[in-house]
Amino acid sequence: MRFLRLFLVFTRLGALSDLAYRANFWFQVFESLLNLGAALALVALVFSQTDQVAGWRLEEMAALLGVYFLVLGVLSMVIAPSLTRFMEDVQLGNLDLMLTKPADAQLLVSIQEVRIWKVVDVVLGLGLLGFSLARLGTQVGAAEAGGFGLALLAGAAIVYSLWLVLTTLCFWFIRIENIVMIFWSLYWAARWPVGMYPGWLRWTLTLVVPVAFAVTVPAEALSGRLGPATLVGALALAVFALAFSRWFWRVGLRHYSGASA
Amino acid sequence: MSPPAVRLRGLTKIYRVPVRGAGVREALRSLVRRETREVPAVRGVDFEVAPGEIVGFLGPNGAGKTTTLKMLAGLLHPTSGEAHVLGFVPAQRERAFLEQITLVMGQRNQLAWDIPVLDSFDRNRAIYGLEASDYRRTIDELTELLELGELLPKPVRNLSLGERMKCEVALSLLHHPKVLFLDEPTIGLDVTMQRRIRTFVREHNRRTGAAVLLTSHYMADVEALCPRVILIHHGEILFDGARTALVDRFSSEKTLVVDLGVADATADLSRYGTVVARDGARVTLRVAKAETPAVTGQLLANHPVQDLTVEDPSIEDVIDEVFREQRLAPE
Repeated sequence: MRFLRLFLVFTRLGALSDLAYRANFWFQVFESLLNLGAALALVALVFSQTDQVAGWRLEEMAALLGVYFLVLGVLSMVIAPSLTRFMEDVQLGNLDLMLTKPADAQLLVSIQEVRIWKVVDVVLGLGLLGFSLARLGTQVGAAEAGGFGLALLAGAAIVYSLWLVLTTLCFWFIRIENIVMIFWSLYWAARWPVGMYPGWLRWTLTLVVPVAFAVTVPAEALSGRLGPATLVGALALAVFALAFSRWFWRVGLRHYSGASA
Repeated sequence: MSPPAVRLRGLTKIYRVPVRGAGVREALRSLVRRETREVPAVRGVDFEVAPGEIVGFLGPNGAGKTTTLKMLAGLLHPTSGEAHVLGFVPAQRERAFLEQITLVMGQRNQLAWDIPVLDSFDRNRAIYGLEASDYRRTIDELTELLELGELLPKPVRNLSLGERMKCEVALSLLHHPKVLFLDEPTIGLDVTMQRRIRTFVREHNRRTGAAVLLTSHYMADVEALCPRVILIHHGEILFDGARTALVDRFSSEKTLVVDLGVADATADLSRYGTVVARDGARVTLRVAKAETPAVTGQLLANHPVQDLTVEDPSIEDVIDEVFREQRLAPE
């Protein structure tokens, strides 16, 4: 309840900040459409040569892209701006004041900055997802939808934990803005099903920077290729990732010494 | 007597800081092997602050003031020793503890830049879980005391530094903290605004009975607010007691201001003491404390004195003197 209330307040403040700069909305729409257009054009190009990529048909591929944009939107709406701000705050010492608040510090730094215009990506992702599901027709039943929901939650938890662990490193190293670039460059690869990549990259995307769980696995659930073992695995990994990142955050916080005033 | 609001026993903080030589070669070497050095910032500090007390916490840059405040606010874990604030151990950051304290840092801000002040207040209201009616009443009170009326609907980027600081202070008090840690709350403000903040702190303390631990570089803050001062230097406490006792104890001289009038305007007074300033017939002398009565008598007897005042040196001078002596003293 408390979480929800805080989240709503931060969303409201984010909306107020962003509304102060309306032009950004149109830039965001432009950027998102361009991204989506480019991604779709590439998919169309590939599928003009073949019927399947690593076993995925065109509609399934489009659904996967929908998931990709959905997750991208959520990430860049809340997680990425909040945790990026957190790294700045550690550098500048502004984290001090955040830590004097009677609320869970991990929660506060994770939702403190909401960029609402990024909702455009979420909307486009959902739109594309809905459209491709309609094209797929009868295939999606209750089981697939439930599996999709669970897989998406697990994927989001895993990606969030990864972000938290990466940014928490700034307690020790202070300046590590570059570290999140590692994430973005690999997230880019998640626009395609990981099954299509060579082994080493597939493993990297599954275990090292597990973006596969955020995009490919939920999309697999929708297209009915997700076995229960993978889903259970994803959920277990999500629980582990959340617990580990929480532990790591606490260790980091203990290590925090603040920028000298 | 009620238990102290703040109690420190042997509080110590040692930072580990990386060291490396100058130059690219050394910088490259430190990429793989980091050498660290221990820097004691606070060394075995003891003091107590009673509920409702306002205490000035003074020292030169790097003396350990901010480090101490940060340990008291739960931001830093002490290396050794213990701190208790309202009966809590700050480093455990318990919710009930954090709800009762506040930390204002003159050099940091928590108001969001692009949105009206009132909306930032709203964020703290949600974080502290304040009730609507109580929250509204507090805002009304603070608005009256700090004259915030026109500022609240403005985006922070349109405020002056002083206006922003007033809002920062108000923001930090929305939840009725029982202990206020104010770290240079008036830094960079003009004299009028400093005075406004000062008056406000005193009034707030009187109304709410909250304890205040204040650091400042402006002695006017200390003179106006703090009956008691604590001096810290190199992480150790040099003095803890009444502000007036500080002047008595550390200053061996008094200042005499003599107005000789036109008749004797050019008289040489250097045999009475050190002439510090001379402005026409007004002479400022520095005289050893013990000799002040005798010198005053002689001056009045030997010169056509129009006016004579005896003053203690300003607290600023005293503190400066204390720290200078400390620097000269062997460690």
